[in-house]
Order: sequence, then structure tokens, then C-alpha cells
Amino acid sequence: MKAVITSIVVAIILALIFSLPALAQDSDAITITMTGVNDISISLDKTQWPLGNVASNTEYVTSPPIEWCTLTVEGNCNVNIFIVGEDAEWITNPAAYKWTLSNDGTNGENVYGLKFRISGDTARGYVPITKTEGEFWPYDDGSSLAPGDTKQFGLKLLTPTYFVGGRQMQTQITISAVTA
Amino acid sequence: MMGRIKLAGLIAAVLVIFLPSFTSAQDFSFGVSSDEVSIYSLAPGEATEFELTIHNKAEIAHNFTIATFQPLEEERREGRAEFPDENWISFSSQEIEVPANSAANVTVTVAIPREQKWAGEDWEIWLGVDAESSDLLAVRLYVRLLVSTGGTKFNAGLVAGIVVGIVLLGCGGYYYFRRRAKPE
Repeated sequence: MKAVITSIVVAIILALIFSLPALAQDSDAITITMTGVNDISISLDKTQWPLGNVASNTEYVTSPPIEWCTLTVEGNCNVNIFIVGEDAEWITNPAAYKWTLSNDGTNGENVYGLKFRISGDTARGYVPITKTEGEFWPYDDGSSLAPGDTKQFGLKLLTPTYFVGGRQMQTQITISAVTA
Repeated sequence: MMGRIKLAGLIAAVLVIFLPSFTSAQDFSFGVSSDEVSIYSLAPGEATEFELTIHNKAEIAHNFTIATFQPLEEERREGRAEFPDENWISFSSQEIEVPANSAANVTVTVAIPREQKWAGEDWEIWLGVDAESSDLLAVRLYVRLLVSTGGTKFNAGLVAGIVVGIVLLGCGGYYYFRRRAKPE
């Protein structure tokens, strides 16, 4: 009986000696690395497009068409840039009436289209702005924008084929940037 | 139907105003530092915090909001998974007013629940800073937040191995002592 107890105790001790380091939880200090000198920043030289009254099923283009606004990368890191739109809402009662933003730049009843075009981007031409973030500049080919880079672009609005008149509508296009 | 559309168009041409802003367009820019934050060895049950600085480069004060965003898989850094729960990240203030040509700090706290399943993971989430505006064009800047949790996951194989080891060592020891105790 004594041999059994001794054997079990010895076995447990030996097993623990070899296994404890593996079972022990890491107790490394938490490390936070911030690329402290890196500032992400972009600027737009225009943020408003005062269209005034609009007619249904009509296309409106910024003036000049594709050099209307200049985006400048002002930080000190390369960035990927996205663009996203949203439904246009009736300012007086946003929950009661809206124009839905189409996902291909086309229009319909209470559905409107938005497109953008970057100066020099002959490959894509006008690109639809949708409610899902899309590439502003086609960085998939490795061409993210570097500090100091600028891109000129313009917008195109296609109003709904039918909408309720007499209502002030408002929408927003968000241009976002993340470090590449 | 066509008549209805034409009529609506005529009415709209007089009455509807799209984007009713007649103030002069202003150049506006702001910045955030840092552009990327990496946290290593944050074990389940632990929390840590860091500061983001918002620089208002405009000539007037602006309100800024900060929130978390889950990036698409193709936008994440290689080897990074989706951050499991945005509620694990909190801000000292989700809205902050920054005076003209000034900067302000926001403290970001990351707390991982005390569950072993969150150990040894590499996640990415973005912190988006927006300048409040009613203009047509708005800017949002994302800060990449990379979180790597410390600790080791529960290893069922290792535990099973230890149990088998104890049994084998126990048996071996028992037979060893029994043979030693046996009279010649």
C-alpha cells in the first residue's frame, strides 16, 4: 500500500514539474505601439454643392465636371481612400420621406443616383457612389496615395424619375482614409 | 404614368431644393494621430488604454465624433481576424469639441473579457473619427487598431497527456517499488 501511495505522489510531482511551464499563462507585460509621428489627414477644398431647385429625372454635374473638388493627402502616411453615400432625407421629417440611393448610379421612383469621376481616371470614368464603402482611388494595383498627393474629382447627380415636390432634401457623401 | 412624372417634375423644379446650402464653400481638414495602434499581450480579463489626438486644422471650432467600424476582410492586415465585440472598446468621450487650430485627446480603453477562448488571438478593428457637418462632402479618418491577446488557450491534448503521464508514471513507480520490496 505504501508503494502505491509513494508511486502516485512521485508520478504527480514529476508530471507537474514538466507540465507546469506549458500550462502557465503568459504573463508578458502589455505593450502598446503607436506610430506616434504618423498623422493621418486629408483635406477637401470644397464640401458644398448648392444645387437649389431640381427637376425629376434630370442629371446634374458639378462645374467643372471632373475638377470640381481637390482632395489632398496632408498627413505623413500613405492612405487608402474610400467613398460612400447615403439616402437623401427630407430635412423637415427625415423618417417620413427619403430618396433611396441606388447601387448602380441609375434612378427610379424616389430612387436617385450619384456618381463621381476622378480627373485622369480614364479607365473607370464615372463610378457609382453607393451605400457600401467603395474605393475612391483604385489602390488595388498598389497605388495608394502618398503625402502631398492630390486628386481632383467631380460629381454627377441623377434625380428620381418621380418624387414628391416641395421638400428640401439633404444627403451626405463621406470620403474616408485609412493608413495603407 | 408619364404625365404624372412630367407634372411632378414641373412642380419639383419650382419647389424642391436639393442640398440647400448657399454659404460659401470652405476648405476643411483635420488630422488624427496616431494612424495605427498595436496592442500586444493583452490577456483575457485585462484592460488597457491609449490616447488618440484629434487636430482641428480649421479656423473655426468643430465637433468630432469617434466610433468603431468593422473593416471588410480584404481591408484588414494579413493574419488579422474581425474584432469579436465592439462593446469591448470604449471612449472617454464619443463626441468632442475641438477649438480652431487646436488639438484634443480622446482616451480609448480596450477590455477583453476573462474567457480563455479569447487568448492568443490577433484582431483588427478601425476607429473612425468624423467631423460633424451638414455639408454634402464629409471626411472620416480611420485609425487601425490591432489587438493581440496574450495568454495560452486551454489545451485539451496537453491536459490529456498529463493525465496519461501521471497514470503511466504511477504504474511504473508501483511496479518498481513492488519489485524492490519483493524478497529475493
